[in-house]
Amino acid sequence: MSPLRLAERLLQLIPVLLGISVIVFAMMALTPGDPVQIMLGDSLADQAQRDSLRRDMGLDLPVVERFFRFLGNALTGNFGLSFFHRRPVMDVILERLPATIELTLVAMLIAIAVAVPLGVIAAVKRNSLLDRIATVGSMLGVSMPGFWFGILLILLFAVNLHILPVSGRIGFGYEVKMATGFVLIDTLMAGRLDSFLDALRHMLLPAVTLGLAMSALLMRVTRTSMLEALSQDYVTFAEAKGLSRLRVVGRHALKNALIPTVTVAAIETGSLLGGNMIIETVFGWPGLGRLVVEAIFSRNYPLVQAAVLIYATTYVLLNFLADLLYTVLNPKVRL
Amino acid sequence: MKKALLSTLLAGVVTLAVEAAVAADLRVGYSADVTTLDPANHRSRVTEGVILNMYDALLARTDDMKVVPELAESWKQIDATTWEFSLRKGVKFHSGAEMTAEDVKYSFDRLVKDNAMGGQTSPRKSLLGPLKDTSIVNPTTVRFHLAEPWPILAAYLPFQQVVSKAFVEKVGTPGMATQADGTGPFKLVEWRRGDSVILERFDGYYGGSPDLPPVGKAGVDRVIFKVIPESASRVAALLAGEADIVDELPVHAIKQVEANPRTKVLSTNGTRSFFIPMNNTRPPFNDVRVRQAANLSVDRKLIIDRVLSGLATPLDGLLSPESYGFNASLPKLTLDVDRAKRLLAEAGHPNGIDVTLDVANAFKDVAEAVASQLTRAGIRTKVQLWEQTTLSQTWAKPESNNRDMVFQSWGDGALDPVGIFVPVLKGKDRGNYSGFANKEIDALLTSADTEVDVAKRSKMYQDAQAIVARESPLIFLWLPQDVYGASARLKNWKPSPRGVIKLHDARVD
Repeated sequence: MSPLRLAERLLQLIPVLLGISVIVFAMMALTPGDPVQIMLGDSLADQAQRDSLRRDMGLDLPVVERFFRFLGNALTGNFGLSFFHRRPVMDVILERLPATIELTLVAMLIAIAVAVPLGVIAAVKRNSLLDRIATVGSMLGVSMPGFWFGILLILLFAVNLHILPVSGRIGFGYEVKMATGFVLIDTLMAGRLDSFLDALRHMLLPAVTLGLAMSALLMRVTRTSMLEALSQDYVTFAEAKGLSRLRVVGRHALKNALIPTVTVAAIETGSLLGGNMIIETVFGWPGLGRLVVEAIFSRNYPLVQAAVLIYATTYVLLNFLADLLYTVLNPKVRL
Repeated sequence: MKKALLSTLLAGVVTLAVEAAVAADLRVGYSADVTTLDPANHRSRVTEGVILNMYDALLARTDDMKVVPELAESWKQIDATTWEFSLRKGVKFHSGAEMTAEDVKYSFDRLVKDNAMGGQTSPRKSLLGPLKDTSIVNPTTVRFHLAEPWPILAAYLPFQQVVSKAFVEKVGTPGMATQADGTGPFKLVEWRRGDSVILERFDGYYGGSPDLPPVGKAGVDRVIFKVIPESASRVAALLAGEADIVDELPVHAIKQVEANPRTKVLSTNGTRSFFIPMNNTRPPFNDVRVRQAANLSVDRKLIIDRVLSGLATPLDGLLSPESYGFNASLPKLTLDVDRAKRLLAEAGHPNGIDVTLDVANAFKDVAEAVASQLTRAGIRTKVQLWEQTTLSQTWAKPESNNRDMVFQSWGDGALDPVGIFVPVLKGKDRGNYSGFANKEIDALLTSADTEVDVAKRSKMYQDAQAIVARESPLIFLWLPQDVYGASARLKNWKPSPRGVIKLHDARVD
């Protein structure tokens, strides 16, 4: 892709982000609830206290002025102070973002590792027992609520079998020197195999809970597109040439069949980044999803705004990445 | 690749829970993360619960809520607006520096002076009422100067921790959010945001308040507050032996925790009263007879036993029985459906009334139980669910909201009427959802605010409670207990009525 085209794609981000800012800002402003009141709770508070907090939060200004201030500051990378942490929003978010990304990526790896082979086999051996099992399994995977499945896993592996921890990202006895923010990478970089393994044990249940749910969807997509690919002329031609079944499926059909899988995987990754607060809550995972949900309930406007902008940017970029992957998978596709 | 992954996973599985094996680590499964480590920059009890294991205060509270000296050795009132505190000698901060009057003055200036925290004002300022200045008499004596008499200063001082002047000046207010240098029994090792706060014993600890024995260093090597927001997971952590204390144990888990030989249930009276304000500003509840009828229609004991697993104390008024100024001779509120129906008929509603009870989602079950009892007595009650914040906003102005009843609660960690009775029942005050306004009550509450004589002030609140009992602006309900789960190896710890987990005395086998 030419640099010009790349720049154009990136420039498209601007109206998207601007639109999202307006919508999120308006929605937060219209939602009833007063962060000052929420912060002070029931205990002693006089008007002076309310006023000083309101001023510290910047809520003493009219809403339109607040929006333009937010916009101006956001352009310089300043998203303001989180109302309740009383620290810069970006600091608070960046502390939690890597945990979410790490969990999402591992879950996605598990999902792909499970879904693609199963989907291909199910398509190739269509209507076999294996296909049926995979279909029923994926139905279960799609319809099973994550929090329920997660708690079942906790009860089995942590409470009854005592082989995996209930929650958290790494045991408190294990040191981590954060460099990248990704515990699995940081522990390896520090040469701490014990910490790495402990982090892996913590990762296992939440990643499997998330990954299996996603693999169900990916498997269905892979199976369908594989079936379609297998009915194409070029497959018949390849078979007529006398190529082995493995070569036909693995080399010719798979490449084309994967395009929808890649799209779905990229979009799902995007929605996982924003949408795994349930799993993060069940497993006490210190990610961004949980932070944002708490922020919404406590009307922590600056944090919600910044987080939504980050989600939106990631989502757009992941879609873009999926497009790029098309060109790799299928040179006929041009961006 | 798959094989490699599998063998790594297996290896991970084989290295079993190492952290459970270390004997003197005390692990708390905590329902939320702290928002900051700065004692002056929050209004959250969850946050305070962690902070006060690292920072001590001038005064402390015993479990029966008596105020006793902590970093102060003694205190006295010089006149109506001046209090003097003699500081304990030889108290050290975690950094090794000795605590002096300078640090105390600095801590309280930071709390009460405008813009004293890096341009912002402490959200805890109003917890110190009219305190306006602190002066140093000598290196071990400070005086607090109030703008007007405030008899409850001592009751509110356990909520304010002393910080090190040198440390704050070094790290600034932003640094205080994530670092700590207190005088408390534990010092900070690491705060893993969203995941855990790890503390270790401070060997230079002065021992704590002599009125809160045992005096000495902390009983465990390390304390870990591990954030586990989902209650089912918190229970699982307790049952799996990964936590020694879990807070907010859900009612449905109590039997399971009690049945397990390695875990137990601990509880104490909470500090949050539950009640139902009736909208006193409009019919039908502007008639006192209807309000009295409502109070006679609720079988508190039945609901406590059946819905709350017995973990609450029924109330005949607003205050906790442990509160200062509690009136023990209020008429007992018992179920009397016949009398309730008679009162309704006298008020002109022989066929009963139809009303709506507003409730936040979290309290749907109990609200429905109350509604069904009211309905049986002729107050036909429909329950309407709300999001909490929207609900609070709607009820902030009862005179114009056109609603009937709301399920409400009010917490008061200081257990003084000024923190609950005043906001809920004084005319137009911040938690007055019933719209109740009574000149006699308002006058009593206003004079009690500045009455220095302890017994006189108590009498004023008791009189106010008697009037409220007669006027029945609220349906009084109960005081739920704070319920914790604990491991059998936990010793020397019981829940505090303040709702915070202080671990100085705790031990683990």
